[in-house]
Amino acid sequence: MITAERKPLPEIKESITPYKKVLIVGCGTCVAECASGGEKEVALLASALRMDAKKEGRDLEVHEITLDRQCVYEFIDQLAELVDRYEVVLSLGCGAGVQAVAEVFPKIHVIPALNTTFIAQTKEAGVWIENCRGCGDCRLDQFADICPITRCAKSLFNGPCGGSKGGYCEVDPETPCAWHLIVTRLEESGRLEKLAPLYPPANWSKKEGKGPRKIVREDQRH
Amino acid sequence: MSGASIGRPFFPRVMTTEENRSNVAIFFCQQLDPDQDVNRRALEKELGTRIRFFPLPCSGRIEALHLMRALEAGADKAYLVTCPVGACRYREGNIRAKKRVEFAQKLIQEIGLEPERFELVNASSPGPFSIDAMARELINKAGGLPSSPLNVKKPKEAAHNTP
Repeated sequence: MITAERKPLPEIKESITPYKKVLIVGCGTCVAECASGGEKEVALLASALRMDAKKEGRDLEVHEITLDRQCVYEFIDQLAELVDRYEVVLSLGCGAGVQAVAEVFPKIHVIPALNTTFIAQTKEAGVWIENCRGCGDCRLDQFADICPITRCAKSLFNGPCGGSKGGYCEVDPETPCAWHLIVTRLEESGRLEKLAPLYPPANWSKKEGKGPRKIVREDQRH
Repeated sequence: MSGASIGRPFFPRVMTTEENRSNVAIFFCQQLDPDQDVNRRALEKELGTRIRFFPLPCSGRIEALHLMRALEAGADKAYLVTCPVGACRYREGNIRAKKRVEFAQKLIQEIGLEPERFELVNASSPGPFSIDAMARELINKAGGLPSSPLNVKKPKEAAHNTP
């Protein structure tokens, strides 16, 4: 899933300063799972903004809505009857959600209330770790299903750097060494031969250098 | 934040309305007072809208949003009363409750309100207690906090409401 964190309230407040009628739009998928942009977080932000305005004697009308997915037109359509009644949309979606809403409603200002961060796995309640860089050339099979590009601070393909201490990374002692995990897992599953080949550098042209990436599936199109 | 402790065996007098005009919301774990439904009635009758009780099946059910909404609805202070640490029937409820109160405190600090407007209170023993007696003690304590700036009427509101 895509993770995000809410921007500091002063930053959000400044961005909506010119407006008196704000529509806060959450997203019930990725950012709800990482507790930054779901229904509950929309309600918390709305409550904080209303109280802040009241404390300062400002008029502020805030309406809350959370879409199942903010990056898919079919769900964004639910805003069609609401948007015209507000001066600005404050989005608690990821960057993709913000831009999708902006595209559907070209005349309204859509402001992000989140900083989109990374693709993650929910490690435990309240903990999300980055485990995919979206490189476009997945080689998890070669590395015991542990991504060295993402989880090794140095993105090494051919063995550890030598700085691992007690199974943890020298760059961040709280992060397990990806190569320690890879070797342990291959050992335990009897697949150590996977480490014999020399792996060439990643093909970064599949991720970067050509502008925004696009997937087209004719079988899915209208 | 360390939770204050209440539940000592005394029944303090509620300040008169001239002394204490605080609006208080009290979220509490029902396990502390099996007769809470009866015990809180007298105080609710006495203080009317100035006190709001919110019984929870466990203090771990609290959400930051509950506390925020209480403040938004006019409370000067919101308490969460939990079982003593280590005595939660569901093991970790009051530990989670503490984290959520701390989170809510950070949220109101962002808008310039005092974190003390939300307070977690650990009961001194597993009880049972009378929530009425606990509440009287907490209301007295809340009297030391200035009224919430959210409850100050704007001039035009005040004028409109003057008979």
